[in-house]
Amino acid sequence: MSANFGLIWIVIGLPVAGFLIQALVGKHIVGDGSGKRLAGFLAVAPIALAFGIAAYLTVALTEFAPGAREVVSPGWDWINIAGLNVPFELRVDPLTMLMTLIITGVGALIHLYATGYMGEEKEYTRFFTYLNLFIAAMLILVLGNNLVMLFIGWEGVGLCSYLLIGFWYKDLANAKAANKAFIVNRIGDWGLTLGIFLLFVVVAANHQQFNAEDGRFLSYDVLLPTLGKVLAGMPAVTTAIALLLFVGACGKSAQFPLYLWLPDAMAGPTPVSALIHAATMVTAGVFLLNRLYVVFELSPIASAIIACTGAFTALFAALVAFGQTDIKKVLAYSTVSQLGFMFIACGAGAYWVGMFHVTTHAFFKALLFLGSGAVIHAMAHNQDMRNYGNLRKYLPITFITMMVGYLAIAGIPPLAGFWSKEGILGYALANNHAMAANVNFSYIVGWVGLGVALLTAFYMTRMTWLTFFGPERWKQIPAHATAHGEHEDHAEHAHQGHHHEDHGPDKHGFFFSDEEMAAMPHEHEHHHDLDESHKPKEVSFSMWFPLAVLAILSFGGGWVLHNGNLLEHWLYPPGTMALNLEAHPHGIPLMALSLVAAVGGILAGLFVYWKGLPAKEGWDESKWNPFRRAAKEQFGYDAAMVSASVDGGRDVGLAFWRGADTAVVDGAVNGVAAGAGWLGASLGKFQNGFIRQYALIMLLGIVGLLGMIGLSFGRLANGVPTPPTVSLPPQTMEGQR
Amino acid sequence: MAGVPLVAYLALGLFLFSVGVVGVIIRRNPIVIFMCIELMLNAVNLTFLAFAKYMPSKLPTGTTPVAEASMSGQVMVIFVMAVAAAEVAVGLGIIMAIFRLRKEIDIDEMNLLRG
Repeated sequence: MSANFGLIWIVIGLPVAGFLIQALVGKHIVGDGSGKRLAGFLAVAPIALAFGIAAYLTVALTEFAPGAREVVSPGWDWINIAGLNVPFELRVDPLTMLMTLIITGVGALIHLYATGYMGEEKEYTRFFTYLNLFIAAMLILVLGNNLVMLFIGWEGVGLCSYLLIGFWYKDLANAKAANKAFIVNRIGDWGLTLGIFLLFVVVAANHQQFNAEDGRFLSYDVLLPTLGKVLAGMPAVTTAIALLLFVGACGKSAQFPLYLWLPDAMAGPTPVSALIHAATMVTAGVFLLNRLYVVFELSPIASAIIACTGAFTALFAALVAFGQTDIKKVLAYSTVSQLGFMFIACGAGAYWVGMFHVTTHAFFKALLFLGSGAVIHAMAHNQDMRNYGNLRKYLPITFITMMVGYLAIAGIPPLAGFWSKEGILGYALANNHAMAANVNFSYIVGWVGLGVALLTAFYMTRMTWLTFFGPERWKQIPAHATAHGEHEDHAEHAHQGHHHEDHGPDKHGFFFSDEEMAAMPHEHEHHHDLDESHKPKEVSFSMWFPLAVLAILSFGGGWVLHNGNLLEHWLYPPGTMALNLEAHPHGIPLMALSLVAAVGGILAGLFVYWKGLPAKEGWDESKWNPFRRAAKEQFGYDAAMVSASVDGGRDVGLAFWRGADTAVVDGAVNGVAAGAGWLGASLGKFQNGFIRQYALIMLLGIVGLLGMIGLSFGRLANGVPTPPTVSLPPQTMEGQR
Repeated sequence: MAGVPLVAYLALGLFLFSVGVVGVIIRRNPIVIFMCIELMLNAVNLTFLAFAKYMPSKLPTGTTPVAEASMSGQVMVIFVMAVAAAEVAVGLGIIMAIFRLRKEIDIDEMNLLRG
């Protein structure tokens, strides 16, 4: 069987077609609301079909020998100048197909879920327009056969992320969260662009070594096989490229200095959080590290920095998760933490394990987010876990599926999270790739990772128990903490402060102060509140079906991919990598330790939360212990960054405005004008209207002129050279005459 | 070449010109100022004619006496007279217009363009 790999264009074309349909005729399909079912179908079908084709191509790819699984499907000339040819072409290989399957597979499930979740939304088609566009951009990022196409996709998903976080743009806090995501990502893009440029410079300087007669120097199939040899001779440049690319990965994948945007991104609709901010887009950084692993495996220093950043992010985000009361915020910090795990793996040199965790994380985190969406949907769009409790009685399907996701992320075997997390820790503890200054950081971050695994189980137990067990707390909400919906009035919000956490950095006024925000008109989109009489209802089929599928994948997916090194040999057949890595540390019973960490975390969580909400975590935050209050505020990091960048940026701007613009530029312009005015006023005094005075001055002028001419002629006539000054004593002239 | 010496012509011209200048500067009636300007022009004309009369001929000897003297000074005087006549016509026209507008022609009152 020889498949036609040109089909890969259809995989990209389908979401594009879906995007065009939704954008151009979606409103007519929906009409007065009766056509929502058809519009939803037209949004889901292209993604599902694309998944089918991608699965077919993946099977076809297995026909090739390992190591030769690489097909480039030519498109059209795009940039073609003087010996350099950057065509628009797609690449089918194990890595791209893995990502494509995740994107289209999880994407189709989340699209399906969204048809139910967004069912009451007025701007139904706008949502699916963005969502389909996101899938298309993500596929370009993954499938493009050169870094320029990757960059297009990179920016495209950033744009879609911005549009979707700010989907309910009438709420100013959402618009600010969208801006924050876009701006913070821009810092990462700065690093990515510089890294790509530096890589291109290296390629251009050594272009004889690359086998590209048609000028396709930047295409992966030309670039990657030779790049390792070229870079081997220049370690400093390699480290620079690796670190710059890692800055880009940090931005997109929410690692420590730049993670700030991801928790705020939860302002978007929950399906968006599941698809973009958990399963696909945020893993683009890990994908980039895998795509260009030849660069990263050559630089131990960069690898050490990557591993340490990942470990610190994992630890930091896990601690912050303890202070969150918003169910989506807990999951957001959990995502940041899990992304940290992926970077630990990549730093240790085990790139395939990073992708393994991307895959399993896509399953269980999408599941958890969609489950939380179902809970939020059932609880009148209230996201505060302190108002939940005992929901297992009302939402049985959501409860069972979310329990699977919870156990998977906690690392209980044989669920998916256990295998990938254990793989990460094993590679980190067993190898010494991430060496800097003779310190084996790989080993250190391995132990840190083990500790974070325990914390993960702990805070996920907290979330699960507060949500599904214990008393039904929405019936006993104190009067001063009345429940607010997701889109509540900001004036009230500003006064009550502590209740609803989904509003991003509003304390630090990104563009507006609280007073300005309170003054803005605000539309209520949801009308019912959470109160004593509330009855949670199980969600519809379109919403629980994706949950069920993802639960099955979270349950078995990890074991299937791990069994017989299936994923490792699929992504990196033996002999591909220059690094020689060990999968298991000697002398450390890792399997037992990670089991202890997972079970220990869960038991600790049960110990604290068995009876429901402890009094010192209740609605009254003044009773919280100092650590939890600090964790809720991200230990002041967010506030510090916002005040440093936003306020600092404003101060710099003001300084330039007042110092440079007003004083120097305006000063110069106004000075010239004032000088001309002064000169004119001074000269104008001569223009006094006395005609006879004019005549006198003209007379004197003519006399003076004639006198000068006369003197000159006199000197010339006597052959005397012209003196430098005209004022000669008169008697001299008399004598000369 | 007997008769009035050149310096007498020039002295008279200088006197007339000085009278004209002083008149232009100190008088406020534009009509008088015009007369003074005419005085200055005629002083210059007198000077031209005097120099024309006394200027040695560049032509070869033996030609007629009229042609012996340079004609250029006299031609210049004709030009000056023509220009002066035109100038007076225009100037008097302007003065008439100003008078119709303002009912007075004191030159010190005409200071609309004062800076």
